[in-house]
Amino acid sequence: MAETFRITRAAYLESLGDFRKFLKEHCKDVNAETLYDLQLAVDEACTNVITHGYADMDPGSIILDLELDSDSISITLTDFGRAFEPGAAPTPDVDAPIEERELGGFGLFFIQQSVDQMDYKATEDGNKMILRKLLKPPSSAGLH
Amino acid sequence: MKTEVKQENDITIVAVSESVDALTAADLTKTISDQISDGRVNLVVDLAGVEFMSSAGLRTLLGAVKESRSAGGDLRIVSSNPGVDKVLKMSGFHNIAKVFTSSAQAVASFSA
Repeated sequence: MAETFRITRAAYLESLGDFRKFLKEHCKDVNAETLYDLQLAVDEACTNVITHGYADMDPGSIILDLELDSDSISITLTDFGRAFEPGAAPTPDVDAPIEERELGGFGLFFIQQSVDQMDYKATEDGNKMILRKLLKPPSSAGLH
Repeated sequence: MKTEVKQENDITIVAVSESVDALTAADLTKTISDQISDGRVNLVVDLAGVEFMSSAGLRTLLGAVKESRSAGGDLRIVSSNPGVDKVLKMSGFHNIAKVFTSSAQAVASFSA
């Protein structure tokens, strides 16, 4: 049976460390690479909510729901700010020379690279970003 | 995040530890920028002590590489944490700046 955990924090950049710590505490059995991927995806998604979703308004909250299954980890991030349009963000050109490089634009790209599935929906109960990471069998675990 | 700046011959080493995220990246940008403004344009940013770095940290590094080169110098990176290394690789950072696994190698590369 799946285990579920929840943390709610104010949408401030100061909360980013709390979300990372929460994931580390509860995802004890995953390897270091998987934990980093989850922390990175959550960090980028929350940064986006804090800096864009709640821009020009009183910061509300971000709720992180964590669901641990034997073969996957699912995370639902809920916020009550402005909805974001994942399709509107351009994919960064990672082969471009430095002169042509934009400094930003990696957030959504890193989320997509770090998890196996990403869904986003704006609902009456808030904006929900759902991230799912499949767990590899132990034999193929570890960084390559 | 903590930073420690030290000088080895003409090379300035900025050793970073803990986390570089959207909260702390601005401090790192300022620390590096201050060095370049003071004429220390050849830099090694040592990320060996960094446990976590997001795209905010990457943004800082890309900007710092550009800034140091505009000033006639260069900025090289030390990375040994597999997670931080993955962030650098995903962004194609290795195509832009030299990345080493030890501070000694990075410093020596300036005189090579």
